[in-house]
Amino acid sequence: VDAQALQDNALAAVARASTVAELDEARVTYLGRKSELKLALRDVRDRESGMALNAAREAIEQAVAARQAELERAELDSKLTTERVDVTLPAELIAAREGRPLRPRPHGSLHPSTQVRRDVEDIFLGLGYEVVDDREVETTRYNFDALGFPAWHPARSPRASLFLDDETVLRTETSPAQIHKMESQRPPIYMVSIGRVYRRDTIDATHYPIFHQFEGLAIDKGITMADLKGTLLHVMRALYGPEREVRFRTHYFPFTEPSMEPDVSCPICGGAGCRTCKQSGWIEMGGSGMVDPYLYEFVGWDPDEFTGFAFGMGIERTAQLRNGIPGIRPFWENDLRFLRQF
Amino acid sequence: LRVPVSWLREYVRVDATADEIAHALSISTGEVNEVVHRGVPEEDGNLDRFRVGLVLEAAKHPNADRLQLCRVDVGEKEPVQIVCGAWNFGAGAKVAVALPGATLPNGLTLERRELRGQVSEGMILAEDEVDLGTDHDGIMVLDDALAPGTLLADVLPLVDQVLEVEPTGNRPDLLSVYGVAREVAALFDGELAPLPGADPPSAGNEPVEIRIEDYDGCPRYVGRLFRDVAIGESPVWLKARLRAAGVRSISNVVDVTNYVMLALGSPLHVFDYDTLHGGLVIVCRAHAGEELRTLDGTLRKLLPSDLLIADADRAIAIAGIMGGAETEVTEATTSVLLEAANFEPVGILRSSERLALRSEASSRWEKGVDPHVAGAAATLATQLIVELSGARWTGHADVQGTLPERALVMLRPERTDAVLGLTVPAEEQASILGKLGFDGEGDGFLVPTWRARDVTREIDLIEEIARFKMDEIPFTLPRRDAMFGRLTRWQRLRRLVEDVLAGCGFAEAYTPTFVADGELRLPEPLSAEAAALRTALYGSLVDAARHNVAVGNSEIALFEIARVYRAAAGGGLPDETWHVAGIVEGGFADAKWAVEQLYGALKLEPPFERAAEPFLHPGKSARTNGGWVGELHPSVLEGVWGAFELDLDALVAAAPEVVEFEEVSPFPEVRQDLAFVVDEDVPAAALAAVLREAAGPELRSVAVFDEYCGEQVGPGKRSLAFRVAFGSPERTLTDEEAAVLRGRIVDALAERFGAVLRA
Repeated sequence: VDAQALQDNALAAVARASTVAELDEARVTYLGRKSELKLALRDVRDRESGMALNAAREAIEQAVAARQAELERAELDSKLTTERVDVTLPAELIAAREGRPLRPRPHGSLHPSTQVRRDVEDIFLGLGYEVVDDREVETTRYNFDALGFPAWHPARSPRASLFLDDETVLRTETSPAQIHKMESQRPPIYMVSIGRVYRRDTIDATHYPIFHQFEGLAIDKGITMADLKGTLLHVMRALYGPEREVRFRTHYFPFTEPSMEPDVSCPICGGAGCRTCKQSGWIEMGGSGMVDPYLYEFVGWDPDEFTGFAFGMGIERTAQLRNGIPGIRPFWENDLRFLRQF
Repeated sequence: LRVPVSWLREYVRVDATADEIAHALSISTGEVNEVVHRGVPEEDGNLDRFRVGLVLEAAKHPNADRLQLCRVDVGEKEPVQIVCGAWNFGAGAKVAVALPGATLPNGLTLERRELRGQVSEGMILAEDEVDLGTDHDGIMVLDDALAPGTLLADVLPLVDQVLEVEPTGNRPDLLSVYGVAREVAALFDGELAPLPGADPPSAGNEPVEIRIEDYDGCPRYVGRLFRDVAIGESPVWLKARLRAAGVRSISNVVDVTNYVMLALGSPLHVFDYDTLHGGLVIVCRAHAGEELRTLDGTLRKLLPSDLLIADADRAIAIAGIMGGAETEVTEATTSVLLEAANFEPVGILRSSERLALRSEASSRWEKGVDPHVAGAAATLATQLIVELSGARWTGHADVQGTLPERALVMLRPERTDAVLGLTVPAEEQASILGKLGFDGEGDGFLVPTWRARDVTREIDLIEEIARFKMDEIPFTLPRRDAMFGRLTRWQRLRRLVEDVLAGCGFAEAYTPTFVADGELRLPEPLSAEAAALRTALYGSLVDAARHNVAVGNSEIALFEIARVYRAAAGGGLPDETWHVAGIVEGGFADAKWAVEQLYGALKLEPPFERAAEPFLHPGKSARTNGGWVGELHPSVLEGVWGAFELDLDALVAAAPEVVEFEEVSPFPEVRQDLAFVVDEDVPAAALAAVLREAAGPELRSVAVFDEYCGEQVGPGKRSLAFRVAFGSPERTLTDEEAAVLRGRIVDALAERFGAVLRA
């Protein structure tokens, strides 16, 4: 038997079949128990022709399966096409035509992260800040170099950050937006950037590789650390209640100098100590500091002319604290039993 | 870094408690994760029950072959009888005793009890029983000079507190007990002890040959040679310190290297000198194809970018990362070469990342270690090796490139005030800096060598002052000349879209940016399902809907506003576009209704036309400007689902900036219902468009309100009923005028579509 000829004939027949029934016929003819191929396979003696026949069999089987899917889809689609409606009709009439009139739905919900985002926007608008959400896919130049990340900084490693290539990275913080702003405008700059940021984190109760950050930035003549403390106190009280206190701890960030981590007195226990604040009475809120003069030099300004501050925090974390949500998972699971609570 | 407070206090004298030290460090220096109390409980005079004992008699227990029966002087009037399982001591030994009533670190309280017919009044202690080590083969034999009855806590660190300090990346100087002590001294105005260690007299003048071929990678290498080394166990105090610091005890010489690294922050290495070919050490780059089996037994392939320690013939260590197995110090070693070097950070970081090999040493080198401390580290290690192993120190070499000079950094005290928003007198600024090791010189300060990488500019000096003033800085708001701050149009309309969809009964979802496949792939995916950036949102919403079905939720309606990503046409960074998408249980009409509301709120008239997408029902899907709406194809998700996805940026761009006011006519409108029979496939929107055009400006509104197919209109036909309203801003239209308009409509539809007006 000529395996190749057999295969060619079979594939042609499969391609010709225009209904599932025709395809079935072709299958019986070429792959059935009494087909030429099966009979030949039964009688095969030498390895070479066995291999050739089996290759032909596999090719035909694959073609039949593929054609089967195509035809089934086509038959389903032609059946679906008979259900077609005039898509230009108002939804109400389409629904009536389908015998399922539109029913009023209860009000939906905004995601807790959106609700925090809006609060943050409003707080900063009240302070006279602009709201910015810059791009998420960044050059390493803007995400690291411009922000003064030293060569040893762990965030530069693919173990910590998500790279598209050597020079392109999903932003690890919203701070590149600051550089873009500074390149486009001289101070006064008062802005808050809000958006998705990315880290290579394994998903668990408290980690997810995507989260949202908000980051305030003020650059002007005469901005001080005292202004940073006062602004943060205002923002924290607006978010967590007027009785909150704020303290600062020395820290290190590449793009601020001096750098501090702000703590807010625990909104759950009021500072007495509880599980949320690990009995300390304080909750770590993120990072802050005075804009490193390096950034001014990067955009070509005299570093003595302006001072500024920046601080960044997590949107999800804010929602967790405000709404008492224990983990990060529900923010991304989109379970309606969670979403509809907000 | 775990800092045992007893060790810390050896270097700095302060009155503050461990908790006070931890608090001050965490405000002004870096995080202190925890203060751990370890060792013997201190409550209820427990420490009084741990004593130094003098063994007066020791003999085999009369009823047990494996036990000793001892009489021990513990400083009381009468000696006590103790049964003991260990045999590594005899009469005359000074031992550690816990008396009845003593509570051990594991919580067990000892009692007077009988063992095989003999009373035992306490316990002779092995190191593991008081958490000073792991050894349980024998009891601790103490220094002969101690008087029986001495409180054991005065002799051994039975109780300690450990600070878990986590310095920030810019402060590698805090990765040592002495470094933390220096900081504590500055914070509390305490007295800092000089660097520990003093060179013992040298016992020989053997040459030590060190050759540095790469001074960039290794600016300094101190080598010291020891002979007659007796490798053995470390003394209890050393084991106890290492244990409290979280390091395993290995042998006296290896323990010394770890101890000095913890004490001073400069990692050390030791080689078995007799295994070195040619008796020399070369610091160089690896040559292509070179390999080394490291201490952990793994054969490592090296690259020319890796810095090596080699002997005359071969690699013997990956510099700063890990030593080689063949030159390891073992129990048989008698000659030791000590390495106290300095390595450049970035090269170590690259090599250790590439080899996926991090060690205590490499994690210090990669952050930068003061090259000047190598000398002190060599000295302290030499003193301890000689003391603990009985070795003779016979040779020394200190090969250096040019070590950096201490940098002079200028400081304008008024600039500090301007950054802090607080006036700090110049003398006080100088005093703070002085305590931290910055020496004033003219208008500037000389940076101490251990801060050379971190402090290079005025702002870095200002930070040093700021961290001492953290709580004093007041709370103010910027004084501004100009105020602005409003949402952009895009941001306002995004809020509108969110509100409209929530009003339509949709719950807002947040789904991940990543999908299994796409044009923008991550070279190192997060997972098989998260390997590329998405180009559409609906797939993620299908997943979210599926999850909701799986957990049994009903009336599912979700929407999301997020970005999609596409490779930019001209190269460069990808295009990012905002989309809004929704999915709703029910079908096409439910999705379309929401889209209609959305367009209505944006003051846009959507032009729907039939669309064909493989993931949509072929008879129930429409394209509109900026996207699509349809019923999901049953192969995508089981059940009947409506969905839509629109380009939000395009919608916002299309939406009118300002709505132009149109006069509301005071004259009543004439309303008429017109039903036409047309071919089934003529879209209602096409009829409405022609109708509008035919009627002209007097047509105030038109809407389809009924559709009918069936016997009365015949096969292939359908009837569509429009409600039209005519009007004029100047007067009430007469019936005749309305009839003319109507006639124009009927004629136009008949001409264009063969439409027949139903009676």
